[in-house]
Amino acid sequence: MLDRRQMMMTALTLGALHAFPGISRAQARRLVFATFTGSWEEAHRDVLVPAYRKMTNNADIALDPMLSVDQIAKVTAARANPPIDVMLHDPGPALVAIGQDLVEPYPVAQSAYYKDLISDAQVETGPAPFFQVVGITYNPDKIKTPPTSWKDIWDPKYKGRVGITNLNSTLGTGWLVEIARMHGGSEKDVSAGFKALEDLKPNLGAVAANPGQLATLYQQGQIDIGPGNFNAIQILKARGVPVEFVAPKEGAIAFKTTIHIVKNTPNKELAFKLIEAALSPEVQGKLMESPYLIVPTNTKVKMGGEVAKALAKDHADMKKKFVFQDWVEINKQRSAWIEKFNREIKI
Amino acid sequence: MATAFPPVTRYELKLAAPLAGFYLVFFVGPLVLLTIVSFYTDTKMTAFGLTQYARFLLDPFSLAVLASTLWLGLKVTLLCLLLGYPLAFVITRSPNWLQGLLIIVVILPLLTSVVVRTFAWIVILGRQGIVNSTLMALGLADTPLRLLYTESGVVVALAQVQMPLMVLPLITAISRIDPNLQDASSALGAGAWRTFFRVTLPLSLPGIVAGSLLTFAAAITAFITQSLVGGGQMLFMPMYLYQQASTLNNWPFAAAIAIIFLIAVLGCVTIFNQLGRLSRGYAQV
Repeated sequence: MLDRRQMMMTALTLGALHAFPGISRAQARRLVFATFTGSWEEAHRDVLVPAYRKMTNNADIALDPMLSVDQIAKVTAARANPPIDVMLHDPGPALVAIGQDLVEPYPVAQSAYYKDLISDAQVETGPAPFFQVVGITYNPDKIKTPPTSWKDIWDPKYKGRVGITNLNSTLGTGWLVEIARMHGGSEKDVSAGFKALEDLKPNLGAVAANPGQLATLYQQGQIDIGPGNFNAIQILKARGVPVEFVAPKEGAIAFKTTIHIVKNTPNKELAFKLIEAALSPEVQGKLMESPYLIVPTNTKVKMGGEVAKALAKDHADMKKKFVFQDWVEINKQRSAWIEKFNREIKI
Repeated sequence: MATAFPPVTRYELKLAAPLAGFYLVFFVGPLVLLTIVSFYTDTKMTAFGLTQYARFLLDPFSLAVLASTLWLGLKVTLLCLLLGYPLAFVITRSPNWLQGLLIIVVILPLLTSVVVRTFAWIVILGRQGIVNSTLMALGLADTPLRLLYTESGVVVALAQVQMPLMVLPLITAISRIDPNLQDASSALGAGAWRTFFRVTLPLSLPGIVAGSLLTFAAAITAFITQSLVGGGQMLFMPMYLYQQASTLNNWPFAAAIAIIFLIAVLGCVTIFNQLGRLSRGYAQV
């Protein structure tokens, strides 16, 4: 007869195996790529993963979408045996990950594509396969003359109709730096930007908690104009929301999204191959097309479609039109700015 | 053969062991870790000290954030009580078929996600929302009023979202009151209001305390509703914590904020409980 205790043990073991699948296969593990959630995951699943499979003769891969901060937390918690092999980061978190010694330098000498990247994307701690671009978003149903400059947002006719995000996001922080620059400031000194924000208060209809929420506010008619992420706006537009994106004449703000091999990964070779796939002109070319519209960094990719129309017709044009920011400087003071924003910006 | 049967009313503590083990590993353990992290003085977590606590407790801005969060909780609780008590009262007095229907209506919000309920409030309170378009159609307002991203907006939305937590304990407490007591009160010459204030209300105090506790705790920690309806410029403790932990990677400070918040909430809970204890004495007199 089956002993009650034995049955309990079996049940517990089965339960534990289910809860901690790592127990049963601690050694060989498939490649884990922590991408971002939402449209990023979709794009990577549909384009990047098939390309990687082709390159590696069908090696196994898992996408584990999560925020940058969670990627860092997970890797920090298990430095010797990280649960993630490849990380994806915005500029701020990338510097944190590098600062905490969580990333492996990219084996530039072995890379077939690294040298073809535009110079801003060539980063030895982890190259940038994609750009995110921030420009002016507006509702063409309500705003008939398209805005041309960041300054237009301060126009009194937009009273109560402007939306921004707070500084928790890369978008919010990058935009503050840009308007500071416009008024004579820099990454080292954004006080001019805060002054400009103060002047913007009558126009502010919303300070969204995150860029995702900011985008949905156009849909609800809560706001009609403000800074916005090119890709987020394209997604809304594809769903029939009346939104348009314009690159302001001061230049659209470009953020590097960098991809990193995690230190101590057991899958270093496969991680390298995945990143190579992400840098390849084939993958970047496909991701540039609709519906992904991700800005390529490989100069071998010929710009086309909506990206060429709204942003830049080639990589030389891109260098002229995009504004890159110094996030090493920004990160030094970001916490002080967030604190200042917490205290001063109340609408 | 005389076998001593164990008394049937005695339960063995061992039965609670699996749950206790679960709590030990997934609640007590992390809480201890959190406390340890809060005593680090730097973000690299190398030295111990009280800097994080000093930074919070000596900073008027941080204290104001804590105070406004507790104040928000109080306002939501009062609003829930004000709206929820009559509702619970009516439910206990209605005929059976209506009672079932009303309880389903009360529970319904619990069956949808908080995110969905909160988004509904964004639609209601927005510039082109139901409230504003009605006001403008009636000619009561020329330009849309700002309802979203205001503290009153947050209070109203939270009150709706947390209402079931207040109403359900109230229903239980009120329906347990012996109707004979109210009859006796009126037979002895007390009017409806007097009966309510001297009999019904004191006897339902345990329900009020339980409902208030739940609503208060849920309202002050409601990160999603607070940030979506309040926006990115209205700072309450959960958002403050999130900002430090996630955007700034300052885990020790975030941990200290969490511990201070926890202690403040425990303090409030103790006060509520004291009120409850007082009420028990009052109800018996």
